Amino acid sequence: MPVTYAESAPRRRSKSIPVWDAFVRLFHWSLVLSTGAALLTGLWLGASWFTLHLIGGTLAVALVTSRIFWGFWGSSFARFAAFVVGPRRLAEHLCELAEGRAGRHIGHNPPGGWMILALLGTILVIGLSGVVALGGTLKTGPLAVAVDYATGALAQDLHGALAWALTGLIVLHVAGAVFESLRTGENLPRAMITGTKELRDEAAELPPRPARTRPALVAGLTAGAVVLGAASTLAVRQFPVPGAPIPPARFDRLYADECSACHIAYHPSLLPPESWGRLMATLGDHFGEDASLDPASTRAIAEWLTVAAARPTDTKPAREFARVDPAAPFTITKTPFWQETHAAISEATFSRKPIYGKFNCGACHQDAESGWFYPGNIDIPDTPKENSR
Amino acid sequence: MKIPSKPTILALAIILATPLAANPARDAIINALKQQAGVSSFSAEEGKALFLATHSGGKPETPSCTTCHGTNLKAGGKTRAGKPIEPMAVSVNPQRYTDPAKVEKWFRRNCNSVLGRECTPLEKGNILAYLSSL
Repeated sequence: MPVTYAESAPRRRSKSIPVWDAFVRLFHWSLVLSTGAALLTGLWLGASWFTLHLIGGTLAVALVTSRIFWGFWGSSFARFAAFVVGPRRLAEHLCELAEGRAGRHIGHNPPGGWMILALLGTILVIGLSGVVALGGTLKTGPLAVAVDYATGALAQDLHGALAWALTGLIVLHVAGAVFESLRTGENLPRAMITGTKELRDEAAELPPRPARTRPALVAGLTAGAVVLGAASTLAVRQFPVPGAPIPPARFDRLYADECSACHIAYHPSLLPPESWGRLMATLGDHFGEDASLDPASTRAIAEWLTVAAARPTDTKPAREFARVDPAAPFTITKTPFWQETHAAISEATFSRKPIYGKFNCGACHQDAESGWFYPGNIDIPDTPKENSR
Repeated sequence: MKIPSKPTILALAIILATPLAANPARDAIINALKQQAGVSSFSAEEGKALFLATHSGGKPETPSCTTCHGTNLKAGGKTRAGKPIEPMAVSVNPQRYTDPAKVEKWFRRNCNSVLGRECTPLEKGNILAYLSSL
């Protein structure tokens, strides 16, 4: 039974005791960095930060995995058994807090312990939903062959909602640490750096018995999990992924020659067959230019495009651009999805060299002609020197 | 100095350019246009005026040939979508105007875009004469 703070009146010259071992501290601050990077890039920065988002997220999940193993075979204060209490004990502590007679806990206090579980669990589910989203919407990652776009899109919504929930949990976690630091008169964030805390009441605060740590086992389990994750990703690369866009090597020669004389060769999966048909029927007035072709070429290209577009491509751009603006059935930049995803980019950016306009997907999307539009392949070119006065 | 004198460069250029200017495929295209226009020769000057002028009859995005081809025709141009266009001057791009279908296609499209109508055989011939003279 922890003594109340009022009873354990501050005895300043007491000895310190190691509480947070090196693993826990390294884990904590690495998780701050990796989760911070993943949240910042995912919630606030644009899609061009996708690679950093993946690195941050992957690292966070790996750290959490390792921390869970450490929760079973780590040092005394790191073990779940040491800080996860039942709901009754939690309620008791909150009552004591409300009445101002709550005790000091040298490890995690009851709500703190539950917060740790919530943080670890949320990060894990965010990571998992991210992998499902990656497989379903972008046809990459370990679940690329297993997940369709609809499931991936659902997972992505969950991924985003949980990211906001995690942000809320982090705010609460920090607030809790500040509150508890003020209440008990000790700097808890500093303890997570030094690893030591002040021992005020030996009988009440020491763990019952020092647990035997199994660092080798935890390291092995962690390495195993990481290798398994990496191997499944690599294994998937061996299969043709269903619904992935057909690579540009299979572009129809006539289509590539005629259409990319003026602009990038838009991948056929980017518009539904009816839209391609309408576009090919109105080449005489094609986005402000006469792009008419002889009847035979027009027919051949239209046929190839509609057949190629009818192939089920299950990527995010293919599925989302299929919802065209009825008033502009073949203007990709007028689709709701295009407008949402490009809302943060200024008109000035689009019109400058070497972008020239919204139609020039390939200026920023290095993989535009493949139809993939992987966010990690976005590279918005800088303003050329002659314009940047 | 190793730099050849100006007359030498000029002579070399003439020697190099002569067979190119006399490309039989291009001559055939130009001769056909002469027949259609009912003239015996084309005016590079008039072709130049037409090519460099700003027009109002076509689509607002493309008021002039130079919108995409630029004013230095020995250098390449750029389409409105940022794709490079090879130089128009025959002297630097000898393959120009040797494929009748290609010549017709681009005259049809671009005259319509810039002028809002097809070009006459005389206009086409004048422009080819101008671009061959550069």
